[in-house]
Amino acid sequence: MANTFVIAKKEMNSLLNERTLILAIIVQLLIASFSSLLVIGLASFFDPSALSNYDEKTANVGVVGDGELRNFIEKSQVKVYYYQDLALALSDFNNNKIDGIVVIPGESSSGTGLIQIDIYLPKSDIRGTFVTLQLKKPLEDYEAFVRDIRSQRIGFEPVRLYVDSVTKKTSTYFEFIYGILIPLLVFTPVFISGGLIIDMFTEEFERKTMELLLVSPASFGEILNGKILTAVLIVPLQAFLWLALVSFNGVAINNIAIILLLVSIITIIVVVLGAIIAVKYKKRLISQYLYSLILILMFLAGYLFADSPFNLVTRLSAGAMGNEALAYCAAYAAFSIPLYVYLKRVKIS
Amino acid sequence: MDLLTISKWEFRKTRLSFSLKTRILSVIILILIGVTSFFVSQSGLHINDNIYKVVLTDPELAKVLRTDNKFDVFVTNKENAKDLFELKGFDILILDSRIFYHDSYSYDSEKSISALDALDKAIKKYDEARLLSYNDLNDTFPVWLNVKNIERVQAFQPVSLQTLPQFEKIQENTANAPIEKPAVEKAVEENTQLPSIKDFTELKKSSSLQEQTLATPSHFNPPIPFKSVVLSFIFIFPIYFIAQFFSSSIMEERVKRKGELLLVSPLSSYEIVLGKLLPYLVITLVMVAGMTFKLGGSPWIILILLPVSLMFLSTAFFGAIIARSFKELSFVLIFLSVFLSGYIFFPAMFANIHAISIISPITLVVKMLENEPVSMSEYLFSTTPFYLVSSLVFMFGIFIYREEDLFTQKSIKGKLLDSIQEFIARVPTPLFFLSIALLPLAFSIQLMLIVLMFNVPLRIGILVFIACAALIEEVVKSVGIYTVFSKKIATVSTANALKFGILSGAGFFVGEKVLLLVVIASIAGSVFGSVMGIGLLIFPLLLHISSTTVASLSMRYLGTRNYLSSIVLASIIHAAYNLYLVRGVIFG
Repeated sequence: MANTFVIAKKEMNSLLNERTLILAIIVQLLIASFSSLLVIGLASFFDPSALSNYDEKTANVGVVGDGELRNFIEKSQVKVYYYQDLALALSDFNNNKIDGIVVIPGESSSGTGLIQIDIYLPKSDIRGTFVTLQLKKPLEDYEAFVRDIRSQRIGFEPVRLYVDSVTKKTSTYFEFIYGILIPLLVFTPVFISGGLIIDMFTEEFERKTMELLLVSPASFGEILNGKILTAVLIVPLQAFLWLALVSFNGVAINNIAIILLLVSIITIIVVVLGAIIAVKYKKRLISQYLYSLILILMFLAGYLFADSPFNLVTRLSAGAMGNEALAYCAAYAAFSIPLYVYLKRVKIS
Repeated sequence: MDLLTISKWEFRKTRLSFSLKTRILSVIILILIGVTSFFVSQSGLHINDNIYKVVLTDPELAKVLRTDNKFDVFVTNKENAKDLFELKGFDILILDSRIFYHDSYSYDSEKSISALDALDKAIKKYDEARLLSYNDLNDTFPVWLNVKNIERVQAFQPVSLQTLPQFEKIQENTANAPIEKPAVEKAVEENTQLPSIKDFTELKKSSSLQEQTLATPSHFNPPIPFKSVVLSFIFIFPIYFIAQFFSSSIMEERVKRKGELLLVSPLSSYEIVLGKLLPYLVITLVMVAGMTFKLGGSPWIILILLPVSLMFLSTAFFGAIIARSFKELSFVLIFLSVFLSGYIFFPAMFANIHAISIISPITLVVKMLENEPVSMSEYLFSTTPFYLVSSLVFMFGIFIYREEDLFTQKSIKGKLLDSIQEFIARVPTPLFFLSIALLPLAFSIQLMLIVLMFNVPLRIGILVFIACAALIEEVVKSVGIYTVFSKKIATVSTANALKFGILSGAGFFVGEKVLLLVVIASIAGSVFGSVMGIGLLIFPLLLHISSTTVASLSMRYLGTRNYLSSIVLASIIHAAYNLYLVRGVIFG
């Protein structure tokens, strides 16, 4: 047992000396910032209020033709310019005077035909996006208006719910932060540790230092435990760091203790799996390749069902679940036992 | 013995590592991955399942909400429901048809407000699915949008545009009205927000990359090519694996000291390295070609992914040369591939939104997948940095592909300095050319910064960018001088400091102008362009020379130990000048 800690301490020192752990944390920071930049960037395109940073407040839109839609567009934020025909509007469009054109067709809400609206937008241009965002609301309102009239003909009754005062806010951010960002932050260290244990073992095999270790007082079982201990212990530490950082940024994280417990259990599974591969194959090239494949498989499987570790972390951190998660923790812990038993039986020859 | 012999050996060596058992195992795992992705595609991604808790009294409404996995729905009587909502952490309470939520004054309001929005979306989706089942488009989805995206720079063509487009002839990028009437379930799936694996497994089956969607106002959104980006990720996938093999193979030789034999052979180190690279590069390209063929993309995609492959392979090689242990190699490679992946995939998401997105070759792949033309100048713009940086990385790696760096435990910094020292020893007027050689690296990092800066408010973005860009350029210009002084290659004197500063600054200036002339035309008009030094010629020259000379002199007097403060000093001067250039945008 004492030898286990000696090995663990040795591995920990080498991690700290090489500053590899720091690099790992930078990697995680990069992943986090990329993904949040991406989603916040994308979400802001679907949530016009987020674009208020930009100086342009209104989009200039040309309108050709006359019809009910005109009233809806006039009521919206966009600045409307009227044109007699499309050619005139297009020439202003090409001269950058207006950034979008709406062609209102003759068909009205009381008619029977489809109301087809042509919309001209500049290609690969941020102003096109801007017009899209500002036109969306009046178009949707118009659709609801026409649908109210027409769907009565077929006897359609929409689901109607009422709410007293609405605090309108998109759910995109909330679902991204709890559904993607937090599980990603918490599980990246897990996957890194799986790779780490492979490096720890294959390096000993390829440098032939494993033989030296084996003639030392430490048994192979103790060497295994020591290395696994190091690879597992650093994960809840990193996960805690991320959770602390996220809550420092004003995102409330619930059930931190249960999340750390769950993450530690999953780490044991992943690290033991990594150790099995490394001890069986001994070469880094093959072991890392197989581990990467299995990682993809586990990652996909993690999205396959509700109550997967990803989903549990989402619900725990968002507060949609509490102590009942402990039952799942126990189930996952039970899963790690046969893996560990199998690892102990692998011959190192 | 020649380069090809090395390639043959390398190929055989890696192939032999894969025993029959390993091959069978990887086939099994690949099949499992396929099966799992099939199931994921059937049931969707269960990311936010049961995240919101709703309690209500109407069992019919509960059925509606249960169509969305996000809701954990609980039906009970009125009294119980109120209690649960008040005390047990439920986010939404629905009594008959009235919704209650925790508003902004209460604890847990964040989640409750977001649940409200999710509820709104779920009901819209449910209604839309029901409407579709009526098979009566004119009464259920009466408003249709035909969106035409027009390139504004192109000349106005009245002939094609004056005839009002008919419903039958909708242009390529116009969303089509569904001719068939989809079943309810299908419509619900199609509207899921996050693209499931299904989306691209379906894409594989059909050659056309467009899917039929509802072109109604609620589907009128900015064009984000999510699917094409995910698809292009599949193209990139083999590159990650092969780069990993390449680095493992190099590292294994270092660890087992097998490479020593090759080093004493008559072959030069660049022949050895290129010989080793060749099989991996060929396999990568073959796999990319196979993917392209299978997924029905244009063969040009291979040409676009060539520089990307070179980039991944070169960084994998360099990582394997500088790392001291497997662990360090793993971390260096993870770091580099995360950085590179960000660089190539992040801008691609904005392919249809902003012209700057073509800094990434993946944007071009995305464009091709969406059947849009890609011009030669776009190809040059996005791939030139990749070609240049990867050759540079190979060159610096080959410099230290020698016994004293491969088989010793030198630190990463020590090895980097070694490769710069080699450069200085081999090239005439080294400091002048070192600045030029390192320029693509600075250029790539700066482009990456620009992309990141688009996400912060413009003014802060410009300020941060100016500071970072100055720092990067000053490091690039002075790192050679640092090497010369710290390794005592030349005497540390004021005259030398001045000379080196001028050479280095002038080199950077020349390189910058040449590179910018070739590739940067398309962003030259933007504010960021002027920060990167497209403007008057004489002032940038003076700037580059003076800031580097400051760094050089400060190293002369403060010693190379204070390199960091020398750099900061030079960066402040540099940043101040650039700040003055764009003052109008920031303060005006």
